[in-house]
Amino acid sequence: MSESIIKNHSRELTIAAAIALYLLPLLGMDMTTYLTLTIAGVAMGMMIFLVASGMSLIFGLMDVINFAHGVCFAWGAYVAFSVFNYFDKLVAADSLLANFMVFLIAVAAAVIVVGIVGIIMERVLIRKVYGSHLFQILITFGGMVVLRELIRIIWGPNDEVMPIPLKFQGNWNIFDIIILKYPIYAILLGLMVFIIIQMVLKRTKLGKIVRAGVENPDMVQAMGHNIFLMFTGVFAVGTALAAIGGLAMAIFSVQVYPDMGDAYLIFAFIVVIIGGLGSITGSLVGALIVGLSYNYVAYLLPPLAVGVNILIMVIILLIKPTGLFAAGK
Amino acid sequence: MTDTLLKVDGIHTFIGQHHILQGVSFEAKTEGVTVLLGRNGAGKSTTLKTIMGLLPAKQGKIVYKGKPIQAKKPHQIARMGIGFVPENMGIFSELTVEENMQVAMLKDDIAAQKRLEDVLQMFTTLKDFWGAKAGILSGGQKQMLAIARAIVNETSLLLIDEPTKGLAPIIIDALIEAINQIKQHSVVLLVEQNFYMASQVGDDFYILDDGMVVHNGRMQDLVEDDELQSRYLGITK
Amino acid sequence: MVEQTPVQVFRSQEKMGRFTSPAFYLKIAILAAFIITPFLFPSFKSLDLVLKIMIFAVLVASFDILLGYTGILSFGHVMFFGIGAYSVALLLGKFGEPTYAFLFLGFVIAILVTTALALLISFLSLRVKAIFFAMVTLAIAEFAIILATKLSSFTGGEDGIIMSTPGIFKVSFNMGSFMGVDITGRVITYYFILVICLILFMLMARFIQSPLGRVMQAIRDNEPRAEALGYKTFVFKATSICFGCLVSTIVGGLYVMWVGYANPESVLGVPIMLDVLLMVIIGGMGTLYGALAGAAFLRLAYTFLPDLQSLAQDLLPNLHFVHTMMERWLLIFGILFILVVFFFPKGIIGTIQNYLKTRKAV
Repeated sequence: MSESIIKNHSRELTIAAAIALYLLPLLGMDMTTYLTLTIAGVAMGMMIFLVASGMSLIFGLMDVINFAHGVCFAWGAYVAFSVFNYFDKLVAADSLLANFMVFLIAVAAAVIVVGIVGIIMERVLIRKVYGSHLFQILITFGGMVVLRELIRIIWGPNDEVMPIPLKFQGNWNIFDIIILKYPIYAILLGLMVFIIIQMVLKRTKLGKIVRAGVENPDMVQAMGHNIFLMFTGVFAVGTALAAIGGLAMAIFSVQVYPDMGDAYLIFAFIVVIIGGLGSITGSLVGALIVGLSYNYVAYLLPPLAVGVNILIMVIILLIKPTGLFAAGK
Repeated sequence: MTDTLLKVDGIHTFIGQHHILQGVSFEAKTEGVTVLLGRNGAGKSTTLKTIMGLLPAKQGKIVYKGKPIQAKKPHQIARMGIGFVPENMGIFSELTVEENMQVAMLKDDIAAQKRLEDVLQMFTTLKDFWGAKAGILSGGQKQMLAIARAIVNETSLLLIDEPTKGLAPIIIDALIEAINQIKQHSVVLLVEQNFYMASQVGDDFYILDDGMVVHNGRMQDLVEDDELQSRYLGITK
Repeated sequence: MVEQTPVQVFRSQEKMGRFTSPAFYLKIAILAAFIITPFLFPSFKSLDLVLKIMIFAVLVASFDILLGYTGILSFGHVMFFGIGAYSVALLLGKFGEPTYAFLFLGFVIAILVTTALALLISFLSLRVKAIFFAMVTLAIAEFAIILATKLSSFTGGEDGIIMSTPGIFKVSFNMGSFMGVDITGRVITYYFILVICLILFMLMARFIQSPLGRVMQAIRDNEPRAEALGYKTFVFKATSICFGCLVSTIVGGLYVMWVGYANPESVLGVPIMLDVLLMVIIGGMGTLYGALAGAAFLRLAYTFLPDLQSLAQDLLPNLHFVHTMMERWLLIFGILFILVVFFFPKGIIGTIQNYLKTRKAV
């Protein structure tokens, strides 16, 4: 009897246990700090989600692990950096509308530029090595090195300060709890992207074909759908998602530097291993786990901040090697 | 020329380093059911995949409706009116039955909707599971779904790979009825190990062995010829 | 006479050809070159170059055991190199006057840590999917870099650890002159490292020829079939990984004995990983001796690239873009890497081997 309760409600129980676990840091800090860290953690989780979801989608459909994904993140940040510098008046304007406009321009520019980079990469590099993981890793690793050096050539090798739209700075004061504005915007952006991806995948015909392709690419082809065109499209979308994550992160951390994608590539790996390769919901959950754990531990035990995520990855690999939300395969 | 829909001429196919098809030739007429028979590993499924473009033919020609298709991509071949039901049925189990049909439908006009109605008339059980994930269907229902997906577009040729595999005899009878209905509109190329099924629906047959056609003729003759059956198919009465 | 099986025939033919093939004399010549280098080119720069070629050749060969012979891509290989380097550097640099015992202990600790970690990583990721191995090792390697940087009281942070070597390995040690060359601690260290590298290289060559190594190659080519033949592929892969990592860690210790310091960038960083990858790809995956070719090519390129850069500056003084390109030689290496993977997936040695094979066949 009790066994069946555990089985029937395993999902609810897991969620309850997870919530309990994430309330634990309260023991080591006061409520205000906890809230601040939680918001920062969720915001960071959303940015990681943007990187990881693209990677997960690409792996799910194309069976390709893209090691250049982190550098696409950095490219997104740098494109936004250029846009913000070009429209410096809009950035400095004391108007929410102008600020959001320049933000949207930056998002659009990052998506277009990095999307094109993604298309070129898929067509020139990856198309030739479908089916061989080893060569995919090598080729995308080479692509990563080239793209990172291109950043150094185009934008210079040094760290730069990212301009922040005026209305994105500062905070709200709600009942003495100080809430930074930008993380809230970043969370909203991440949620919006998540909902859009889910809607496209669940509601549109193209999304259904992509989901079908994740399960059985051969069958999708045999039904008359051009899977290679889909591969290019999904690869472009995946890299563009990483670019959005990069620009969101650049505003969050107020800086851009050529290697900024490296840490996020690692986070994305951890997230897709935790969440399950090919699952978007898994990416969101995994990213939130990573973002929150990182922020709590960075506050309590600073040197272990990255270690805790590796530890979580190791535990997940031990108890559920396919990840929390394994996709069809 | 006029009475062949598909002509396969001396195709060689490799999987990895293995030379699976070593010059397979046969043809399917503009009507009826052609059955490919043969033991496991003879190359029957590989033949269907090669026709569909999923495996590249190193050598040889495949002519469909008078046009060579061996160099075309699978999606182009599918859009020329060839439907495919693979050996493992290729069901998208994470998608609902409805979504499975939607992915299969290449057009969404009134004629296509009409055809969907007709197909569902034929496989009424699919309607009962319309919103359910295809993964929960039984083996027979999955096979129905797989065939329904393949005929929901205007197909002139249907490639079906061992539809009876692992199914109960009572379902096999339903399948025979379905294929006899389908052959009114479309030519069928059927790979089958179940000789009962093959004899009930087949018009012509080819027997494959070791990647080559070793015998062919009218199904009627094979049914009556016990000696031939035992020689090639290991059936003794 | 008892009739021989094809395998026995093949083996005996291989043994007969061992001392007559040109490849054998080439190997002897290369070894001889390594031995006489201190007498021909006694300057530190050339000694340093040759020694680094040697060390990287062994490191890359050990990486090739994983990549070329077992079909596993590990981004943590340099981390094991770093473990060896840090272990030796810590014991020699942190406990007062360096002694032989500390040197020895440094290697022992490196070997123990590496074995434990390699087994853990194999156990975690090989059970699932081979592709996880690349991801997990990259994550753990990144973590190792962060640890080495952040635990500054222990590892010296970004600056790392500077240490000297004990007794006869000491730079200031001098045994007198031999054939006009001072036999200093440097020269003795050079020969010590040469001997160990030679032993490691021969061990690896033996390893891939052993029944164990042959099973490994069977797994690389067709894992399901090897499994169906009754081999526990997991055990073989884990063995191969451990062996490769152990070689890597020992070489790491040797490297630090030569350069006298260990910091995150020089023994753990991504640039070294890239170097190793590039060397193995240029030399040729699955050729072992390709490691030597790849290491020599890249180390020589590093040494002479600055000259090339200034040459370009002289020839094309007004092309700013060319200068930026030359400064960013990693870009050139990245492109080179991609091109080699595309057009010479077998590398220098692999391509030569193929050429010889086809010529023989004709």
